Amino acid sequence: MEVQTASRVEVMGIDAGGTMTDTFFVREDGRFVVGKAQSNPADESLAIFNSSEDALAHWARTVDQVYPELVTCVYSGTAMLNRVVQRKGLDVGLICNKGFEQVHSMGRAIQSYLGYALEDRIHLNTHRYDDPLVPLSRTRGVTERTDVQGEVVIPLREHEVRQATRELVEVGAQAIVICLLQSHKNEASEKRARDVCREELKALGVDLPVFASVDYYPSRKESHRMNTTVLEAYAAEPSRQTLKKVSDRFKKHGAKFDLRVMATHGGTISWKAKELARTIVSGPIGGVIGSKLLGETLGYENIACSDIGGTSFDMALITKGKFSIMSDPDMARLVLSLPLVAMDSVGAGAGSFVRIDPYSGGIKLGPDSAGYRVGTCWPESGLDTVSVSDCHVVLGYLNPDNFLGGAITLDVERARQHIKAQIADPLGLSVEDAAAGVIELLDLQLRDYLRANISAKGYNAADFVCFSYGGAGPVHTYGYTEGAGFKDVIVPAWAAGFSAFGCACADFEYRYDKSVDVAVPQHGSDDEKVAASQTIQTAWEELAAKVVEEFVINGFKPEDVILRPGYRMQYMGQLNDLEIDSPITGAATAADWDKMVEAYEETYSRVYASSARSPELGFSVTGAIMRGLVTVQKPSLPEDEEAGPTPPEDAHLGTRPFYRNKKWVDAVLWKMEALKPGNEITGPAIIESDATTFVVPDGFATRLDKHRLFHLREIQGK
Amino acid sequence: MSRYTKEQVAKLADGKLDWDTTMRMLAMPKDNERFALFVEALQKKVSWDDKIVLPLGPHLYIAQNAKSKQWVTKCDCGHEFGDYRENWKLNAVVYVRDTEEAMTEVYPKLMAPDTAWQVYREYYCPSCGTMHDVEAPTPWYPVIHDFEPDIEAFYEEWVGLPVPEKAA
Repeated sequence: MEVQTASRVEVMGIDAGGTMTDTFFVREDGRFVVGKAQSNPADESLAIFNSSEDALAHWARTVDQVYPELVTCVYSGTAMLNRVVQRKGLDVGLICNKGFEQVHSMGRAIQSYLGYALEDRIHLNTHRYDDPLVPLSRTRGVTERTDVQGEVVIPLREHEVRQATRELVEVGAQAIVICLLQSHKNEASEKRARDVCREELKALGVDLPVFASVDYYPSRKESHRMNTTVLEAYAAEPSRQTLKKVSDRFKKHGAKFDLRVMATHGGTISWKAKELARTIVSGPIGGVIGSKLLGETLGYENIACSDIGGTSFDMALITKGKFSIMSDPDMARLVLSLPLVAMDSVGAGAGSFVRIDPYSGGIKLGPDSAGYRVGTCWPESGLDTVSVSDCHVVLGYLNPDNFLGGAITLDVERARQHIKAQIADPLGLSVEDAAAGVIELLDLQLRDYLRANISAKGYNAADFVCFSYGGAGPVHTYGYTEGAGFKDVIVPAWAAGFSAFGCACADFEYRYDKSVDVAVPQHGSDDEKVAASQTIQTAWEELAAKVVEEFVINGFKPEDVILRPGYRMQYMGQLNDLEIDSPITGAATAADWDKMVEAYEETYSRVYASSARSPELGFSVTGAIMRGLVTVQKPSLPEDEEAGPTPPEDAHLGTRPFYRNKKWVDAVLWKMEALKPGNEITGPAIIESDATTFVVPDGFATRLDKHRLFHLREIQGK
Repeated sequence: MSRYTKEQVAKLADGKLDWDTTMRMLAMPKDNERFALFVEALQKKVSWDDKIVLPLGPHLYIAQNAKSKQWVTKCDCGHEFGDYRENWKLNAVVYVRDTEEAMTEVYPKLMAPDTAWQVYREYYCPSCGTMHDVEAPTPWYPVIHDFEPDIEAFYEEWVGLPVPEKAA
């Protein structure tokens, strides 16, 4: 990379994964660098520091120079997820309704097979419950009952709450979570239980945090609400300590920015935020946010985002410039009530294991994968099962001497022998044809999956631009987009750091949700509409207060916060609702209700079809949403002068034999960093950089544009 | 195809295999050598020298008598139930739960079957008292002969191993 210190570095994105910690720095002029370092679970701040040094070395700059210049920094990582998966959180105590003590362990039964491949789900003997976050020994039931209408049927027995509190302290609880039935409908009993619990703790002289579900996630579905509140106590507090350590190290090196964390709803929040559980999953979301920002800049409304890593293929759709949100997703094999950017995943990636099914004699991919161990081509991996990467190495897709920038050397012959013994010989094929078959199969699976996900939602691929990123994405881009009919296929030059880039693009945004039950018939009276409006307005005000409070914690003034209300609406009696950005800022009158209905019907006809509208059923609002944001610095895209279609001589690295469609050809190798905007490359060619490899086979051509985005297209006469 | 070590299969036989490996075994097509490895692990656990031909239950086997080469049904403790083609239950000690009182020993009151419709028959080893099987039939139903394995076909056609010697 060129040495140029005049331009300020403004934005930093961090993607702290299980094995590698990526950092992404963007300069004022849109130039960026990606850094990589081995993750360090014991001290994440150190891995981030090392990764930053690695990145900034490209610009011949140091952390101490750059950190003070930064305007904004966004963290995303898997630390909290790992803490949950490995059950290394706090010893939480749980108070629930008497008789419902086992509910948390039962996990709606669905938790016994969440995260499984389909073929494992249908076999009962594979179903297994993970240890509950809170064991039965730290769960206490108290007598109380609020019914589904929110009527208190049995008042709270306060002495039982005191007793439960004392017992939980006795057994060593480090935090207490309270979650009572229907508290989203009527919070009175749960709030009272919370206060009684706090009084009792005070009387005992014990300082423990108390988490009442209504204060955090007032949403219907008890298991989801309970899990999410438990998660807040169990994992979020320890994670806050981790983030504080990261923030402290930044400060030590002169940083002036306030560290933000990527959250499941697609915005970023402060590490000081009250609700931190929603930062549990963030990595893959970054790519969707980044795609949205790119789309806005380039004028693409409909984008199919695709991300291939070592273990999975994640995809998300952006339609009319918006991604969709799931309100009760599952993560880490737990049902949760957190808003999550909707994504679909399939367990097939570049590291998936390849085996022959002994019954059908067919090639079987995954569901497990080599992950960071790459495949048998890496002798130090300790693996002896062939992975997709082995096939890539044998066929010349990957450079065995420049994997991860030469960090590890791959043994082509070793991979060859394993493919021969495990795949080629049993199938009676040559090693090349067997390996090519594996790649075709993976590409076919991914392509079908991508297409099915678009058409199943009623869309046409021709209306979409496909973005392909992730470390392994560009190797497969041609394969899973060939013949799919996308309007354009785009590979960013920084594909490997795209998630970190996306995180840096996200708004500073809090979002709170609350379940409400409002129903008005099609021709409801004005009184009904006014009552409905008022219920929604009350919920909005409650949520807005929480949003503003979060910003105030970070030193913003309430008037700086831009509030964006929303709601979830459905035709009465339907099972699925749609999330709508409210056309009005406050609801009070019958006319306001009509505007909300109109916005809903408009969205409904866009998502489904206008003929599918069913206003005769009447309308229900199931949830109120409040988003609040403040403006932050975002990375700007690089813009370079076009240099004409012929790539510069110094970008040319030579050739490598490359096998596809039953023949070996010499693919021309290019150095990605040295290519100039406007350059055209026709396949067979392979464009290499340290972190990623972009394959352009025969029959394809690509052009680098001024934003350093590669456009891949199929060409005639192959 | 996955492969497993003798140690992993021995842990499987002991019920001590870690969940990740167990899950992989459940999810993947069965490895060819599993039967041989599993029987080998079981053979190490039993106190007698007769060769295990087929495991029948957690503590029950069809074994080849070392001297006579006859195949017999045999308990962990060494007790023999007779020829493997006979129903071994006919030579076991049986306890029948056919009263409400006997049922409430295993289930809470009102949560057990009506013994006029269903009874439990528990089969024990006469020597060591190990419970080998429980049937839950209607009261009048004959002793159930669980299955008659076609051991020759299993060895030759399924797992591809030579059939152990058998006295006629």
